[in-house]
Amino acid sequence: MVDKQGEGARGQSATSAWSVPEGRRTDEWSQCVVRIAEHRDRAAFAKFFAHFAPLIKAFALSGSSLSAAHADELVQEVMLKVWQKAAGFNPEKAAASTWVYTIARNCRTDMFRRLQKFDTQLEAEDVGFELESDEPTMALHASRGAIRVRELLGDLPQDQAQILAKVYMEGKSHSETAAELGLPLGTVKSRVRLAIQKLQVFMEAGSEE
Amino acid sequence: MQGRSRAIGQDRAGQFKTMITHHPDTNTLTEFAANSLSCAQSIVVATHLDTCELCQQRLAELECIGSALFESAEPVDVDASLFDLVLAKLDEVEEAPAANDANASDLAWTVKQVRQGNLGGLNWRKVTKTLKIADLGAIDGAAEFSLYHIAEGGSIPQHNHSGTETTLVLQGGFSDETGSYHAGDFVTREAGEEHSPAAIAGGDCICLAVLEAPLRFTRWHHRLLSPLLQLRAG
Ligand SMILES: [Zn+2]
Repeated sequence: MVDKQGEGARGQSATSAWSVPEGRRTDEWSQCVVRIAEHRDRAAFAKFFAHFAPLIKAFALSGSSLSAAHADELVQEVMLKVWQKAAGFNPEKAAASTWVYTIARNCRTDMFRRLQKFDTQLEAEDVGFELESDEPTMALHASRGAIRVRELLGDLPQDQAQILAKVYMEGKSHSETAAELGLPLGTVKSRVRLAIQKLQVFMEAGSEE
Repeated sequence: MQGRSRAIGQDRAGQFKTMITHHPDTNTLTEFAANSLSCAQSIVVATHLDTCELCQQRLAELECIGSALFESAEPVDVDASLFDLVLAKLDEVEEAPAANDANASDLAWTVKQVRQGNLGGLNWRKVTKTLKIADLGAIDGAAEFSLYHIAEGGSIPQHNHSGTETTLVLQGGFSDETGSYHAGDFVTREAGEEHSPAAIAGGDCICLAVLEAPLRFTRWHHRLLSPLLQLRAG
């Protein structure tokens, strides 16, 4: 499984903006998850924990939305889900970092909802979408996307980087972001679109309405 | 780069009777990717994603941004005891049965039925000769969330909204002052826009719709039906 992915990555010509060389980090973490899935490998799990737990905690504490105790609880929940869901991880579909990010995102949403005592019994997974596509081109692009985007993030103007951080790391809606920054909603919307353009996320120009 | 999109388009050509031409905009999809839409709006976007390859691809790319920010965060020290705690629970979660339909909530079950197109078992209420509504509840108390079934030749009285209306066509199609929409199309109407959707000839039209505020009907003879709650009771 892992070898196959490595082969696919090498076989791809580096012509598109997204075809950056496969980073070792991504391979390493994807292999970790595969070992957890196939061998219930606790050493691999420990290695994965050591790297990602501090990032999950940072994510939990973004915007001071959760207390330190709740942040630790979130780290536990996410890492237990990693152990439980490892078998469903497909290294050809997504980078391990993106996979764990989506788990952390959903766990945090569910924790927010529990803490705010929403009466609606829906979990983030019930109202979300999990990519099932096995399209090899899509998977390759997806696994490289995070690396490419990480490289471009540093070049974003401060006002756009700040808004992306609010939107993704703090999980704020555009309206909440606008209210917190004292900006018109339209400004927030256009900065998000500009940032996404700069990160060269969308392959197809004109996919926008 | 364009070749990729074209390739997917070709692969999928003919899979749907009508091409999806109306999609969530970038801002909506970004909020979806970051889990910041309301529950009801998330469900509408997710149901669109179930059948839209283009938006699936865009979502994957938007999730990459979240992932890149997540990985670039300044790590926060985690106490070593936390790993021991997790380790101690591994066997426990191993034996725990995976989540399944049996322990899903009623609402989660309903949402699943809607996303799978099983609409017969919903609680449909006849509103007019040609209009039926199935109420999915005011999720989180923040939105009106319903399915509309407009019989062939029927329409919804002209109305405008005091809040944003998000509609996804599930079956058939409808047309209004702005154009025609078919299965899979995702349509947003901003507050204040007036329209009177009518089912397109050739079959009934079923839509999933979220209203951020109740509909206001504008024609005087429909005033009695306004707001939506009364419309349902009628
Ligand atoms: Zn779409």
